[in-house]
Amino acid sequence: MTNTVRIIINDQTYDVPAGMNLVDAAKWYANDDIPVFCYHPKMEPVGMCRMCLVEMGTIEKDRATGQVVLDENGQSKVRWMPKLQTACTTTVSDGLVIRTQTQQVQDARQNVVEFLLTSHPLDCPICDKGGECPLQNLTMEHGPGVSRMAFSDKMRLDKHVPLGDLIFLDEERCIQCARCVRFQDEVVGDDVLAFHERGRSLQIITNSEPGFDTYFSGNTTDICPVGALTTADFRFGARPWELTEVPSICPHCPVGCNISLSTRLDRDFGGKTLIKRVMPRQNEQVNEIWICDKGRFGHHFSRSEDRLEDPLVRERSGRLFAKSWTDALAAAAEALKAAGSDVAAIAGSGMSNEDLWALRQLLAGLGSRRLGAWPPTHAGAEVVAQVGVGQGTNLGQLGRGDAVLVIASDLEEEAPIWRLRLKQAADRGAFLLVMNARPTRMDDFAAQTIHYETGEAVQALLALKDSDAWKQLAEAHNLVIVAGAEGLSLDGSRALAGAAANILLETEHVGKPNSGLLAVLPGANAMGLHYLGFTPAATLDIMQNPPKVLIVTQADLLLDDPTAAHWLAKVETIISLDLFASGLTQQLAAVALPIQSFAERDGSYVNGERRVQRFYTAQGPMGQALPAWQALSRLGEQLGQGTAKLSAAAVMVEIAQNVPAFAGVSFKELAKVERQYPDVGGKDLYYGGTAYRNRGGLGIQIPTAADQGQTVARFEAAADEPPKTRGKLVIVPSVRLYNRERTFRPSALVHARVPEAYAEINSADAKKLGIQDGDTVEIAIQNAPALRVRAHVNGGAPKGTVIVPRHLSDTAAPLAVTVGEVSKAEG
Amino acid sequence: MNVIRGFATTFKHLLEEPVTYQYPEQIRPFAERYKGRHELKRYDNGLEKCIGCSLCAAACPADAIWVEAAENTDEARYSPGERYAKTYEINMLRCIFCGYCEDACPTEAIVLGHEHRLSFTNRKDAIFTKDMLIDPVPEGGQATPQKVEPGVFTRAIPDMEDPK
Ligand code: SF4
Ligand code: SF4
Ligand code: SF4
Ligand code: SF4
Ligand code: FES
Repeated sequence: MTNTVRIIINDQTYDVPAGMNLVDAAKWYANDDIPVFCYHPKMEPVGMCRMCLVEMGTIEKDRATGQVVLDENGQSKVRWMPKLQTACTTTVSDGLVIRTQTQQVQDARQNVVEFLLTSHPLDCPICDKGGECPLQNLTMEHGPGVSRMAFSDKMRLDKHVPLGDLIFLDEERCIQCARCVRFQDEVVGDDVLAFHERGRSLQIITNSEPGFDTYFSGNTTDICPVGALTTADFRFGARPWELTEVPSICPHCPVGCNISLSTRLDRDFGGKTLIKRVMPRQNEQVNEIWICDKGRFGHHFSRSEDRLEDPLVRERSGRLFAKSWTDALAAAAEALKAAGSDVAAIAGSGMSNEDLWALRQLLAGLGSRRLGAWPPTHAGAEVVAQVGVGQGTNLGQLGRGDAVLVIASDLEEEAPIWRLRLKQAADRGAFLLVMNARPTRMDDFAAQTIHYETGEAVQALLALKDSDAWKQLAEAHNLVIVAGAEGLSLDGSRALAGAAANILLETEHVGKPNSGLLAVLPGANAMGLHYLGFTPAATLDIMQNPPKVLIVTQADLLLDDPTAAHWLAKVETIISLDLFASGLTQQLAAVALPIQSFAERDGSYVNGERRVQRFYTAQGPMGQALPAWQALSRLGEQLGQGTAKLSAAAVMVEIAQNVPAFAGVSFKELAKVERQYPDVGGKDLYYGGTAYRNRGGLGIQIPTAADQGQTVARFEAAADEPPKTRGKLVIVPSVRLYNRERTFRPSALVHARVPEAYAEINSADAKKLGIQDGDTVEIAIQNAPALRVRAHVNGGAPKGTVIVPRHLSDTAAPLAVTVGEVSKAEG
Repeated sequence: MNVIRGFATTFKHLLEEPVTYQYPEQIRPFAERYKGRHELKRYDNGLEKCIGCSLCAAACPADAIWVEAAENTDEARYSPGERYAKTYEINMLRCIFCGYCEDACPTEAIVLGHEHRLSFTNRKDAIFTKDMLIDPVPEGGQATPQKVEPGVFTRAIPDMEDPK
């Protein structure tokens, strides 16, 4: 274990780890809240605000003998420093003595608060922070009660400065603690905020174009110790004390950030409970106290206009009619009965484990095992189940002596919080190697970057052994490999996961915490899909051999896959369980059943690190929508498969009994919490900010085969044949965090940040085709309508490759790597 | 003797002014501090004093007040501050007319007036909405929302004069 040192706080002795910050140590071990404004436990101290002043001294030792000097009472003598010292810039050391409650300290605190208030407005009644404001709280606790400042001399500054589209700055409220600036710089690495001017004119500015250009801006509003930074989303939505906090899980990506949905009844939402804001909920192993802006501002889809609210049945005329649940379920049951076992299902990765189990049971009852996972873009979940990052992994612990390899993924766009945490791992000294066919944001933080030919990720990984980087990986104390699937076919991504696993096995980086494989799978519950038997391979099989009846649950086939209309044409009946009325439901479904989003019901997801995490009912239901597990289990009842389940918890009991990976998992276990360091979210909002303490559960990480001590055989990792281009270009789909997916499009405030549909074209290819940067081009692939996008010719794409981000327009972009032609469009 | 004194008293009172008020034709003047139905006040220019801060709702011991706030713009301005009450409701069945809301209000927007005729035949009608509570637009003022010049209302909360 780490060395401990002995310190004395208010005459009590404590043994604390050496090297700890004094403010942290006092709080964690002595339960002594030293007030701070500028210090934050997740950032380096700067000593700017002087709120943390304490009396400080050291136990005197005789220089010659090293013996502690005793005073006349036999007590050890303390050499006090002549003036108060800032606790936040002090690291604990043996014999450190502090006093935090003396008159001198209290006077100092009072003076700092009085001084801060000389230029602070009296906005509390309308300030979004009012009620959970560190400055308010510390003023109440330590402030003078009266001010000697003449009110007429107060600062008058701009109160409504948009820093970008999402965050507003009130210049009068800012106390210049620089937490926001330091967060962007130290934690995120997007250095887009800065101090401008000096002294009393000092202000926060954004120096990026567009303003505050980062995926993590919302976090600054949590750590800002005043209401200077507020989000455009929540602005004036409610007073903090009126909100009910509901623990939930972000539904947008495999990180599975723990969030709190702050809810309140709302007149405009029919008097039902509404999500007013999304806040981070502390889970040090998953997202610490951060979330990205997609998670924070991407909740509007849960009540979008496009939500499917009633069960629909397509009549002979081809039109959809609203029906009762009974009639719609009867229609679905009839279609299923007629099909016998010629049934298959495709489930999206936003479905909860309970939904997936109910779907699997329904199909099992019909005699079918064709369970497809959507989107079928990433294989490798089965490899993760064997050699994934070990139980107890915390990316926040990676540092000096460790190594991280990120391959074939644009992590910033696909899993923002992993990107943020790995950037910090690199800062702490971990060796970060980034490999991709094209430049990505992650390159900026990498110690080394390797660019390989498009589609040759596996070859590049196999070739690593002969490179200089190999030693760093092989000899690393911990090694995490993060494997995506960009530029790879499904087989290619399976081979990549296998090749990565082989490296981990060979270098003995499996079956222990902080080492192993992470697959950047799409969606919130891709690992859940795997554990419950849904595979992308089955989806490809369904595409090739369409069944008579296809059940599609929360998957947007038409908007995801431009060839979907082509292969779906051979399916006789589509039963769609969807959140939305547009797309597949409207165009092709014979029966459409409305289901509830993550916000409206209980359930659980398995994140990319295999952590089963529970979310709770937060928002009022939309129309007649039911949780998917319930709709499916009632459908099963209609088909004589036994009585429908009554609660998500009961479904989880059944999963735990039948699926070995879920052994021991129950809603009760998932809800367990323990004290986490640093201690944020208590009364002392000045310490960690307004991220919520975790009250909903830390989740349970499913052990890998390696964790359980099983020997894992080496994987098949034959390199994929590069696609035969025959003079065409390779079309590589990529992911953008901000896009026009139906689960994100309703968040109108982010629209300005969603890029216009584009494709990256290499300058050599562009020249050959007579295309210039900014031209409109048409991309044509087999069996799909042409896609019109803007050409970007600016070094983003390797030669022979066109990078086409998915979900940027209403026409589907290619789902998988393919070949196609690009031509300049008229007009 | 006693009989005569009794009759005398009766006759004396026959000639005096009656103390009975013929309500509702006759209404007794209210004490200045009488606490009747709430009124949401306006400034002389018609802007609403309420800034939608919910402090009245927080102070209310009967949980009778419901406020939902929204942001003013110069195109549609309701109050001189940044924020206004989009929804403002008081449930008169819950209200105990204690006046705490009035004490809590930072802008003197909510005032318990003298209106006391508060009967209803249905529980829903007991919920008084903003339209019912707000004062009429004073003469010379404009109704809200107002379209105003940009740069005039730049404070988060309008500066309050010392309460007189
Ligand atoms: S905006 Fe907030 S976090 Fe940033 S310097 Fe000002 S007070 Fe600190
Ligand atoms: S990183 Fe992923 S899980 Fe976390 S908030 Fe962002 S989208 Fe949600
Ligand atoms: S008068 Fe008292 S009970 Fe009535 S609304 Fe105001 S605070 Fe509530
Ligand atoms: S009436 Fe007063 S206390 Fe109530 S919301 Fe309006 S401004 Fe705030
Ligand atoms: S100076 Fe120590 S917290 Fe600001």
